[in-house]
Amino acid sequence: MRLAVTGVGVVSPLGVGAGRLREAFEDPDAARARAFAGEPTVLERAKFPEAHAAEVWGFDPNEALGDKGHRNLDRLTKYLIVAAKDALADAGVKQGAAFVSPLGGEHIGVCSATAYGSLDSITELNLVAELEDPRYINPARFPNTVINAAAGYVSIWEELRAPNATIVDGNCGALDAVLSCETHLAHRRADAFLVGGGDVVTEPLYLAFRRLGAIAGGGARWAPGSRESKGLHLGEGAAYLMVERVSGAQARGAPIRALLRGYGTAFDAPRETSRLLHASSAGVARAIRGAVSDAGIEPSAIDVVCSSLGGLPPFDAAELAGIDEALGAGVAVAAPKAMWGESFAGAGALGMASAVAWIGGAPPGPLVRGDVPSATRHVVVVAMGYYGNVSAVVLAAP
Amino acid sequence: MGRVYVTGMGVVSSLGFGREAYWSALVEGRSGISEVSLFDTSNLPRNLAGEVKGFVAKDFMTEQEARRMGRCSAFSVAAARMAAEDAGLTSRELAGERTAVVVGTTMGEANVLGELQQAWIHEGAVRSARLPRYGTTLLPIHVARAFGASGMVQTLPAACAAGNYAIGFAADQIRAGRADVAVTGAVEILEKLEYQGFVRLGAMSPDLCQPFDANRKGLILGEGATMLILESEERVVRRGARPLAEVGGYGLACDAHHITRPHPEGEGSITAMRLALEASRIGPEDVDHINAHGTGTSANDSVEAAVIRAIFGERPLPVTSIKSMIGHCMGASSAMEAVACVMSIETGIIPPTINYETPDPDCPLAIVANGAQTGAKVDVVLNNALAFGGYDAVVCFAKPGRLPEGAGEVLA
Repeated sequence: MRLAVTGVGVVSPLGVGAGRLREAFEDPDAARARAFAGEPTVLERAKFPEAHAAEVWGFDPNEALGDKGHRNLDRLTKYLIVAAKDALADAGVKQGAAFVSPLGGEHIGVCSATAYGSLDSITELNLVAELEDPRYINPARFPNTVINAAAGYVSIWEELRAPNATIVDGNCGALDAVLSCETHLAHRRADAFLVGGGDVVTEPLYLAFRRLGAIAGGGARWAPGSRESKGLHLGEGAAYLMVERVSGAQARGAPIRALLRGYGTAFDAPRETSRLLHASSAGVARAIRGAVSDAGIEPSAIDVVCSSLGGLPPFDAAELAGIDEALGAGVAVAAPKAMWGESFAGAGALGMASAVAWIGGAPPGPLVRGDVPSATRHVVVVAMGYYGNVSAVVLAAP
Repeated sequence: MGRVYVTGMGVVSSLGFGREAYWSALVEGRSGISEVSLFDTSNLPRNLAGEVKGFVAKDFMTEQEARRMGRCSAFSVAAARMAAEDAGLTSRELAGERTAVVVGTTMGEANVLGELQQAWIHEGAVRSARLPRYGTTLLPIHVARAFGASGMVQTLPAACAAGNYAIGFAADQIRAGRADVAVTGAVEILEKLEYQGFVRLGAMSPDLCQPFDANRKGLILGEGATMLILESEERVVRRGARPLAEVGGYGLACDAHHITRPHPEGEGSITAMRLALEASRIGPEDVDHINAHGTGTSANDSVEAAVIRAIFGERPLPVTSIKSMIGHCMGASSAMEAVACVMSIETGIIPPTINYETPDPDCPLAIVANGAQTGAKVDVVLNNALAFGGYDAVVCFAKPGRLPEGAGEVLA
């Protein structure tokens, strides 16, 4: 695999734009404080006093999308559209609504992941149907209950007419979107794709994870990568990379910010038939090995792992063990979720955006172990699902 | 690189289980539409669906397996096990890293979520053991676990085009050398909120699904699952399997027009169909039959007819919509239709569009009306899907060896 990343678009608790992400890595502790410092609008303090969640604070859809046409879009859709606008502008493809490069909308597709994207809207309409009457379901809101609606709206808003694919592989989706992108570019079904995805904090999601005992509530310790962590904190966000063939990027004089060089994936089922959840170090090792092999590099060439460590000790321990097995115990490991919480498919997308920032000169972090060289050349991004599914992607300096 | 073949198919449908039962019913023109029994529709002005009745998960899996999954995953595993048996494959032959599982859907385990939300709304609490069963990503994972497969597990929720997306993508992965064999297809279940939402959209017919008919009144929702076994040519030859059909190229495009309505001129759909032909290295004259998306809604059918005319002109190419019999199985629909495409190639029979009474001047197509068409050459078939979100996907299936070398492969 050898594909050019020519633009990055980000919507995160740290703000809109890849620049906010780069700044965050200069001082991860301060960034983490900012990410969790806002006044909650989803998990209101009065109702959930113990909750710590990182929302996209102060997001104003009117500022980002204008004052018309988005009233019935859900939050994830708005984030994705803004991330898409940001990536297209960063890649020099669009200025505002206008296409300003040879890459017109008919050549650009979308490979977008989400894990729980339509959950918010399904809940909203279920409440209406159950507590009022199904006849009061707002038909204009109903499309939001369909998983691929958010990605579909990205194409509509940005007039992108090449293939649009939604990928739902839990936490692994945004990395699996890289495989979709590579596949469709190889078959010349498009010349470029927005690749990434997002997820949002929602009340049912919080309640579900709390019920499972997965949330570090109140003052309980939250420390991704540490055995002492008592669970995770929810976060949200969306990110897209603009990905195109290297030859295409060079031909249009686009800035190549990083190269996507490898993809690997694995599934490792739990041994007990009745179990569903599974933290698989073997899966992590196999996915990383696959990505490194696909990149055609030695494991020792990896400068830092952009991990999916989120604060759930069994999963974090398995991930670290899998990293050790594939890359050796000396490799540096960063845990960006320690800054903005667990955002599932969004985390994978933010992880890839982080890797591009590191390759561009931002210091990798926050590190849970190891040292990084002064210049970052190769990053492996890992996404670990809850069912034994794992994916990994290698990004490299151009 | 090389050809990719369908070697087995499994079906869970309102017309029966397994490809033979399903196919016989389609050829006979039987309707799978009946009154909904899965949930209460008494407060709605519609009560029909292509509901799968008589499905018992434990007929296809152990009790322990059945306990850990919802209806949607159970359909998937049942269809996958039938497909493997149809292909003459044991679980051991599908185990390992070289087997990919790629599943399409629209809503995934919607009933698991529905039950959780009912409990949350009305009882204020949910059982924690039930929570992990919700996750659309579980669809391929349960299938992979059924065989001990440990390669890629991917879910592609591409609404009503999900089956075509999954089948095309799985074939791509075999051609790219990322897998030797794929279990792929799509699944959808009827769920209360989805049903209520379609009623509120005003998209549902009160009585019949009548694709391309002048008096069509809308779609009727359905459910089901289809899984296909796809194998590389090398593997098919090595194990002496009988290929049922070849998966040719496929075309994708996005309307980027409206979230629920097709582009009025069918721009994306035309592009997808052209790309499917190009990727299959054939021209319109090579196509013998189109299995249409044909939902029975006013907008879909007239646009789809215009798209077919734009590509094929006035040639009386046989077109059918089996949604007239099984309803619109949403994410599963194009996979359910893929079985019909393959069986038409196998048998030379094209199943009918039932309930076709009055030709619509806006849909000037050679509809296979009310009775199966037999005796015609059916070597190359296009499976058409126009989906929610502006997703357009067309897959070409062909008699083994009928397509030129290089069909479906990366374009030079």
